[in-house]
Amino acid sequence: MAACTTTYFEAGRSWEARVAERNAEMMTRQALRRRGMRTPEFAFPKHFDNSRLVKTPDPVRARQISLFSKAITVLFLLTMVYGLQHFSAIEGGYRVESEKQVREQLREENRQLRLSEAQLTEPNRIDRMSRELGFAEPQPGQMVQPNAAPDVSAPALAQVVPPVSAVQ
Amino acid sequence: MPLKLARFWLICLFFLVWAILIVLRLFWLQVVRHQEYVERAQRQQQRTFEVAPRRGVLYDRNLHELAMTVQVDSVFAVPTEIADKQATAHALAAIVHIDPDDIQTTEVQIAARLVAGHSFAWVARRVTAETSARVKELIKSGAVKGIYFQKEFQRFYPDNEIAAQVLGYVGLDDAGLGGLEQKFEPLLHGVSGRMYTAMDARRHVLGSTESEPEPGRNLTLTIDENIQFMAERALDHAMERTQAANATVVVQDVHTGQILALAIRPTFNPNLFRHATPELLRNHAVSDVYEPGSVFKLVAYSAALDQHAAAPDDMIDCQGGQITIAGRTIHDNQGEHFGRITVHEALEHSSDVAAIKLAMKVGQERFYQYIRDFGFGARTGAELPGETRGLLRPVNKWESSSIGSIAMGQEVGVTPLQMVSMVSTIANGGVYLPPRVLMPGQVDGTSTGQQSAVPRAPMPFKPGGDLPNPLPPGAHRVISTLAAAQMRKMMEGVVLFGTGRQAQLNGYSSGGKTGTAQKIDPATHLYSKTMHIASFAGIAPVNNPIIAVAVIIDSPKGAYYGAAISAPVFAEVAQQVLEYLAVPHDISVRSPHAFSKAGLRMAEDDAPQQTGNISALYAAANELPNDDPLRAAVVQASAAGQSAIARPSQTNAQPPGGAGNAKPIAPQQPAPTTVIVSSGNALRVPSLINLPVRKVIEQAAAAGLEVEITGNGTVREQAPAPGTMVPPGTKIVVRCGR
Repeated sequence: MAACTTTYFEAGRSWEARVAERNAEMMTRQALRRRGMRTPEFAFPKHFDNSRLVKTPDPVRARQISLFSKAITVLFLLTMVYGLQHFSAIEGGYRVESEKQVREQLREENRQLRLSEAQLTEPNRIDRMSRELGFAEPQPGQMVQPNAAPDVSAPALAQVVPPVSAVQ
Repeated sequence: MPLKLARFWLICLFFLVWAILIVLRLFWLQVVRHQEYVERAQRQQQRTFEVAPRRGVLYDRNLHELAMTVQVDSVFAVPTEIADKQATAHALAAIVHIDPDDIQTTEVQIAARLVAGHSFAWVARRVTAETSARVKELIKSGAVKGIYFQKEFQRFYPDNEIAAQVLGYVGLDDAGLGGLEQKFEPLLHGVSGRMYTAMDARRHVLGSTESEPEPGRNLTLTIDENIQFMAERALDHAMERTQAANATVVVQDVHTGQILALAIRPTFNPNLFRHATPELLRNHAVSDVYEPGSVFKLVAYSAALDQHAAAPDDMIDCQGGQITIAGRTIHDNQGEHFGRITVHEALEHSSDVAAIKLAMKVGQERFYQYIRDFGFGARTGAELPGETRGLLRPVNKWESSSIGSIAMGQEVGVTPLQMVSMVSTIANGGVYLPPRVLMPGQVDGTSTGQQSAVPRAPMPFKPGGDLPNPLPPGAHRVISTLAAAQMRKMMEGVVLFGTGRQAQLNGYSSGGKTGTAQKIDPATHLYSKTMHIASFAGIAPVNNPIIAVAVIIDSPKGAYYGAAISAPVFAEVAQQVLEYLAVPHDISVRSPHAFSKAGLRMAEDDAPQQTGNISALYAAANELPNDDPLRAAVVQASAAGQSAIARPSQTNAQPPGGAGNAKPIAPQQPAPTTVIVSSGNALRVPSLINLPVRKVIEQAAAAGLEVEITGNGTVREQAPAPGTMVPPGTKIVVRCGR
């Protein structure tokens, strides 16, 4: 085999030529080692023609293999689907928890803002700042409510009322 | 080989016995004592951590937050990571020790906890955002190590002192103390969450299960934040003028009975609850009673009109201002000797004789029934803790002269809430509506147990409207619509022509009744000549009333008549509230100059007379149920302030009468009872608002108090509030601003 490999790569000669060369090489080597008469050794090529060998079809076996392959494929797909769903669910769970945390943070921030708003709109504070800015309380009749509905249920007094200006 | 075979079987037998013993032992441990070992393992392995729930929010009717809980930082340390504990404690105390009263954040305390702790030690809990930022800067600079933060819930009251007694406050352990926080603690607190963990021998967590905390339920009050502010500001003005011991204003919607404002002075800031005392927490509107005096005459007049015993224009003989009942002579106000006048004039001038005669015309039994129908002598059921039912003896225990005293508002103790409900009844056409502080449908059993995910819609107070249909539980008709209308006109007369002229409004009609009563001196058990209660109860407008307001001022200094002290408060509150609600003016608006009430002749209110029977009040106090807060007063044997001076009984001339405040009631007999007395060496906190720093220091020193000043400029806030009685040397904290 070594000879075949060596000589085949060396030149693109035919098989017989290579065998002959190999034989010559072996003969030479044997002669060097021969003590007395020995039986010379020769290599004979033997061609094996296996082209006539044809595997006999085995439908039973083929069906078994086919069925097994399909079963394995289905099992594989199911396993992959399960695994995909499982790990997707885990990842989804992480995302959901992360979003929940973000939501809680935003809710807490919202509460903080509502607290700030309530503190800033405290009537005492508004009143104090208004006075500091020079605002004064409106006098009765100064504020006109255009959307205020007249009190129809109250008895109407028969009287002459001079028009009251918006700002006195 | 028999011997070898025998030896073999002997060894086998030995192993067999050994195996059987092992199996038996296993059976004993794993079957017989299975439960015991499982429990031991659970005890060793399982740890339960409580997760605090978020406390519910208290809203006003417009869904403005009055009390809410947010997360704040709490600072803790891991002592094993701290090399120099003293230096760390010193550095941290310089930042976190803001309130001088907070002893937990002193350097000594922090250092002690760092030394005592191993893996955990609190440094400061629930610190402000500024403090937290400064601690974070300190950590960032590398000056301290092993300091971390943890989120905890903190209760905030954004409006500070507004409605403090109604809301109450929350202590360090998140439990409600006083007010609605205490009354509805189970609802507001929520349900704590639990985390069950399993731990191995090295205290590593193996696994855990959680149950989420259930947040507390939110509650919506009937209080309107702005109306409450108006009432409190008017009270502040009154306290400045009168330096009274305490004062109460209640504003009620006459058509629903909902309380729009309940203001009390002195007050406190729930955010600084360390400065709150039990006395400041006391809700005088429901827990204190007083003899109403002349305001109670409205009951006698209403009963007489409803019974058709009199009409407003009928003539009544006031007998020259004097009447004798069961040997007791009762006089009208000094200098008033009315003869035959109309019934409405008698009310305008607050004739005691007329009131007594009308009550006697109605009859004792029916008169008592009218008193009960108006809500006196029973709890109103308002959602506030510590409510007393007041003092009213059953009619079968009345003495022969009791009808006269009660008609004038003596021998009976009422709360401000009962008084305002009475005038509301007259205002809405004669139907008694129980006062309410919570919006309906929240805790009356009709609401579901689940917390609503969608907040309730704001329900701003809209003036006008009819009585609810159907009437709420506890509502009932007391007087007819005609009688109620007649009473409203007569009350308007009191304001226009009588003792209540200071209650006139600009652009709105108003009606009411003044009252001045003497308090009972807790030391002498007699009516005091120096302590009075000035009250006024009124409605506005008259023709179509929107609100009813009751003003009670306890122990004013100087002038003490209801006409002079309380009526102006009513005017201030009612004027602002009606303008705020955009109620159309029903009378012409006059210019401020033309409307000046300075020139109004102030008809003196009914001078307090000592004609009531104090012992009757004490007897009524003894008949209170055991859970009534009046009965559960605490004896405070303060030697410094109490003087048990026995004065001679004044039974020879005019019997002791007049009206008094029955705040601490002691029985007539010298049996061991409970009486609240004030400490004689208590100092009254002066008002330092809007004063510069130098004046603040001078006034505090003059008052014998210490002062701590923060900020620059003039004083904006102070704690304790003006008028609070404190021991000498108390430190007043003032916050200045420009």
